[in-house]
Amino acid sequence: MSSSLFGGGLDRRILGLLAILTSAAVLVPVLNLAVPPTSSFHIPTYAVALLGKYLCYAMLALSLDLVWGYCGILSLGHGAFFALGGYAMGMYLMRQIGTRGVYGHPVLPDFMVFLNWKELPWYWYGFDQFWFAALMVMLVPGLLAFAFGWLAFRSRVTGVYLSIITQAMTYALLLAFFRNDMGFGGNNGLTDFKDILGFSLQAPTTRAALFSISALMLAIAVIVTAVLVSSKYGKLMIAVRDAESRTRFLGWRPENIKLFAFTVSAVMAGIAGALYVPQVGIINPSEFAPANSIEIVIWTAVGGRGTILGPVIGAVAVNWGKSWFTAAIPELWLFALGGLFIAVTLLLPKGIVGTWDAWRAARRARRSAGKGTSQVEPPVAEGTTARTTRHSIEPQPAE
Amino acid sequence: MYLKSKRRSLVMGAVIVSGMLMAEPGFAQEDTIKVGVLHSLSGTMAISETTLKDVMLMLIEEQNKKGGLLGKKLEAVVVDPASDWPLFAEKARELISVHGVAAVFGCWTSVSRKSVLPVFEELNSLLFYPVQYEGEESQRNVFYTGAAPNQQAIPAVDYLMNEEGVERWVLAGTDYVYPQTTNKILQAYLESKGVAPEDIMVNYTPFGHSDWQTIVTDIKNFGSAGKKTAVVSTINGDANVPFYKELANQGIKAEDIPVVAFSVGEEELAGIDTGPLVGHLAAWNYFQSVESEANAEFIETWHAFTGDESRVTNDPMEAHYIGFNMWVKAVEKAGTTDPDAVIDAIVGVSVPNLSGGYSTMMPNHHITKPVLIGEIQDDGQFEIVWETPGLVVGDEWSDYLPDSKDLIADWRAPLSCGNFNVATGKCGGKGIN
Amino acid sequence: MILRALWMLLLPLLLLPGVARGQDAPLGEIIARFANVEKFDQTEALVRELGATGDPGVRPVLEALAEGNLYVRKVDNAIFIVPGSGKVLKLIDPLTGEEADEASSSALKKVRVNNGLRRLIRDVLSTLTLGAKSAEARMAAADTMFANPDPAMIEALDAAIEAESDPAVKLRMERARAAAVVLSDLPESDKIAAIELLGSLGDRSVLSLLATVEANADGDLQRAAADAIAEIRSVLAAWDAAQNVWFGISLGSVLLLAAIGLAITFGVMGVINMAHGEMVMVGAYTTFVVQGAVHAFAPALQEWSLAFALPLAFLVAGAIGVAIERGIIRFLYGRPLETLLATWGVSLVLQQAVRMIFGPSNREVGNPSWMSGSFEIGQMVITWNRLWIVAFSLGVFVLLLFVFNRTSWGLHMRAVTQNRRMASSMGIRTPWVDAFTFGLGSGIAGIAGVALSQVGNVSPNLGQSYIIDSFMVVVFGGVGNLWGTLLGAFSLGIANKFLEPYAGAVLGKIIVLVLIILFIQKRPRGLFALKGRAVEA
Repeated sequence: MSSSLFGGGLDRRILGLLAILTSAAVLVPVLNLAVPPTSSFHIPTYAVALLGKYLCYAMLALSLDLVWGYCGILSLGHGAFFALGGYAMGMYLMRQIGTRGVYGHPVLPDFMVFLNWKELPWYWYGFDQFWFAALMVMLVPGLLAFAFGWLAFRSRVTGVYLSIITQAMTYALLLAFFRNDMGFGGNNGLTDFKDILGFSLQAPTTRAALFSISALMLAIAVIVTAVLVSSKYGKLMIAVRDAESRTRFLGWRPENIKLFAFTVSAVMAGIAGALYVPQVGIINPSEFAPANSIEIVIWTAVGGRGTILGPVIGAVAVNWGKSWFTAAIPELWLFALGGLFIAVTLLLPKGIVGTWDAWRAARRARRSAGKGTSQVEPPVAEGTTARTTRHSIEPQPAE
Repeated sequence: MYLKSKRRSLVMGAVIVSGMLMAEPGFAQEDTIKVGVLHSLSGTMAISETTLKDVMLMLIEEQNKKGGLLGKKLEAVVVDPASDWPLFAEKARELISVHGVAAVFGCWTSVSRKSVLPVFEELNSLLFYPVQYEGEESQRNVFYTGAAPNQQAIPAVDYLMNEEGVERWVLAGTDYVYPQTTNKILQAYLESKGVAPEDIMVNYTPFGHSDWQTIVTDIKNFGSAGKKTAVVSTINGDANVPFYKELANQGIKAEDIPVVAFSVGEEELAGIDTGPLVGHLAAWNYFQSVESEANAEFIETWHAFTGDESRVTNDPMEAHYIGFNMWVKAVEKAGTTDPDAVIDAIVGVSVPNLSGGYSTMMPNHHITKPVLIGEIQDDGQFEIVWETPGLVVGDEWSDYLPDSKDLIADWRAPLSCGNFNVATGKCGGKGIN
Repeated sequence: MILRALWMLLLPLLLLPGVARGQDAPLGEIIARFANVEKFDQTEALVRELGATGDPGVRPVLEALAEGNLYVRKVDNAIFIVPGSGKVLKLIDPLTGEEADEASSSALKKVRVNNGLRRLIRDVLSTLTLGAKSAEARMAAADTMFANPDPAMIEALDAAIEAESDPAVKLRMERARAAAVVLSDLPESDKIAAIELLGSLGDRSVLSLLATVEANADGDLQRAAADAIAEIRSVLAAWDAAQNVWFGISLGSVLLLAAIGLAITFGVMGVINMAHGEMVMVGAYTTFVVQGAVHAFAPALQEWSLAFALPLAFLVAGAIGVAIERGIIRFLYGRPLETLLATWGVSLVLQQAVRMIFGPSNREVGNPSWMSGSFEIGQMVITWNRLWIVAFSLGVFVLLLFVFNRTSWGLHMRAVTQNRRMASSMGIRTPWVDAFTFGLGSGIAGIAGVALSQVGNVSPNLGQSYIIDSFMVVVFGGVGNLWGTLLGAFSLGIANKFLEPYAGAVLGKIIVLVLIILFIQKRPRGLFALKGRAVEA
């Protein structure tokens, strides 16, 4: 157990999270479909859709955590990878509409028909096949991240410079996708989807299934991240985060390590986007908005970066807060949200998870000091503490 | 320890999930009829949509003063979709399935409407959409109380062509679907009227474009070719203020190159000194300056409701006024708020509009409206210089676009179709070609 | 055609001012008929009739009509000029120009005008003013004639040119005459001379006229027209380039203003201040409030309200900045990325606060008259507000340089940001320096808001629209260097404006962003990188 830090990868809290996710993947559909609406155990379809959306956000936050929390790359453009994955899925869903569009054109999506497009642009080819779309969901964000990272990390662009050019990247994509001439539906984006793999998207069973898939994919993402960060590569990532120059002087190639993390993270974000689109029913350029990418950073920070649990909790908690506030206090919710961010930064600098760990460790330390006897498993507790404190040290680009 | 901790985290997880579910507001109480208001109160669209939320609250309050509806009080449920398009869908779903609203009044941008459409279809509820839009759509659950392109753009162009003798046209718009479609329609229309393609200049700018120097100069140069030139502007929201400021400063007067706008109303003008803009035009179905009893009363109620004499009224507010009254009348006619019954009952319902006539809900779920052309005055109001002799029926499928000219919508039984093709006699668009 | 008919009517009057008057119906009678008009074409006929009298006395009536100040008193159908607005209005007799009566606004009905009428009135008035006293009016008259060239007016213009003493006005009249000559049936040599004159003036608006000549004529005339067109085109190309540079400088100055406060809070202090845009917004709203207050309490100073707004905006935004620094940021030094989170929260709160106080819609901030309108240099149009903003942004820049490099306060700021502990040991009160530096950055953002309120929206979204561009400018220029910010702003502005005519506004912006990304690869620390050990993290 004491090696659970970086050795085993899956410590018990992660196992707990996995258990919650897998049981949710089974229980939520059952409670939604099999339990009658009158029962107090029934979960309404509305809540299923909402929870599914949160899980996609959680996966997105986790992907950001991989590069930010573990590798020290603050990406302010992760929304771009998410949106690209979403667009790839959206294009598949558009092609599935077929003749059921309002104009009944068998090949062209509606927006192309009324803008007088005569044929399908080449980059839409192949998206009628699910396998191709699924491939593109991973390939497009992955390739973009690879190309971007290859340029940026080799030129040793770091710190705020990197953050700002990732922001420039997502902003440029935002403007590009806004253009109707691009053939992605302009501001309206892609919408009015009918079915996926032959299942109607409006059917409660499809929704429940999408939820389960999201939960399972998140579980897989958690496993991948946990294994990755506890592997040798993960240690190198942390080394790069904490002292890039030193790592380089020790003979490693930080740019390759960063590039690897960045690409994996982008693929993960792309998958999250692809799962998100069929559940919310629309993908449009506003997903590229720099503000959205900043929000992802905030979820991660609120949950606690450099932990696996943190981003998941942060994404779910902040978005649930947003859903709830926008209905309960529609005029004032921005105060609540803004206040939350300020409070978390000032009072919980390590995020929810980090603070919780620190509090527990302090309590345990007090208790063991008081009793003067050792606890059942002190190494774990101390290990956890050490990890969270270390992780919260921000690499400082000195001015 | 291991197991205990795992159990604890499981319990924690369960607490979080159940907390989330419990925190959702409870189901509707039975003694009121709930009406959903789905307008952005924050984010970029709050600038336009907040007023519409206020007007809905006012209309509901007025209706309650008259004794409510079907003997029950109306209750507004306001949510904030925060100018975030996927959030519109989520909030629509919340309004319908959690709050159990009888109808929803909301949306401004096309993309927000597109985002919520599947939700209204799936949950079979009603949406009243109050903003002028690009057309090319008719959905069973949606009622379009704003103008279709033929109720705004085409009469405006006719006016400029006939009354001002315009021969050269700049179609300037923000790059999104409403200007793109409107300009496509206008281009086809102008060319059908014998305007040469080189006498039409089309220009698109991004949302919130703030530096208009180059484009205004281009317009000026385009207009110096010796033919009377006009600008047809579908520039959206925020970008208008810097656009008009630049026009004024570069000295483009309405007498030389008039600008007719489809997205600039009283509310937008409130942010500009209109002194240098006198004479530029806008086409709407309502202006605050309309002289009618209904309008005077509406403005008075509005000022009393907001407690602010300087709050202006505008066209989308009138659309909500019409839409809300139509819904009330249809519910009374049907005797229930059941969506299917209301959808059947509302077609043919006529209610007074604010310009002194009556508007009727047509079978294509669009309404009849007069079209007014107004010139900007130095007090920020419009003076009506022209109006259509009668009411214009909203045309959802434009006659000037090749792919939609054969389509019609009619939601009455037995046709019940939003894209009926009169050429093939089948429902479902153009069909396979 | 309308105009040509008008000319025929007016020509004798122009030549013999003040002679052929009073033969038609007396003015009062025509004016009285405004009471009965129902349609615009009736008003149009009356305006023509008034113009045809050639009486300078119609001038006030027509001007009032064009401005929408001509009213009918409902009780007796009498016509009055009613300047101003309000509940009780002064009535002025249209003929004598004396105050006749007072009436409430509900007792009056406005004589309606539209664009067509305003245009007609302008043309009618200009024909009455070719011999006017004011040079401006004569110039306007000449320009109107140039815009509607008509051979019938050559004689009138000749007479006017003869009498003209102002060289600028004379040139305009000659231009109008040349345009008329080209269309006339005068001998070819005259026409060629006229074409050469037009060509040498290099005005875009004669291009279409010359193109018609080129298409319809042959021989020397056609050649002369073609030469003139080529000449104008080449002149215009140079002016267009100059115009683009100016647009770029002007856009650059806006970017500089938006970014320069950030260059302090972000560049010098290392705080990723996402609330920077909201400081700009606070400045703009301060301008709005000041303008309202000046309007209410000291209307005479209306023109100078911006001068009051500047220090106030600096103080208000600066005070908010100090409050943010003391309340939040000072706990976060050394954790720059967390300042991003907290200041993002601050920006949400400020936006919503402004939305609740001032409402969600745009607020009107007027331009003072010295910032309105434009002037021309050759074929280039320069608007006054842009010119002032360029000057203002440079002024702010120089001021900041001075503060940083020439004052003890600036010295302390630099000391603290470079080596906090050392500065502290030297007796500098670092917490205060931090607070004031942040306050300075915010205050500068505030005065940027005053300037930006003159070109753009004043709405709760104002800040959001500048924040990304500001970060790009600071990073492109090099964090921590004011000169970098200056050069970054202007090069981005000019690049944008040169790309816009070719690629369009959207694509141009995308290209600029991609260029920034590529540029950072080449110079990972921006245009002006700080040198020394501190750079390597």
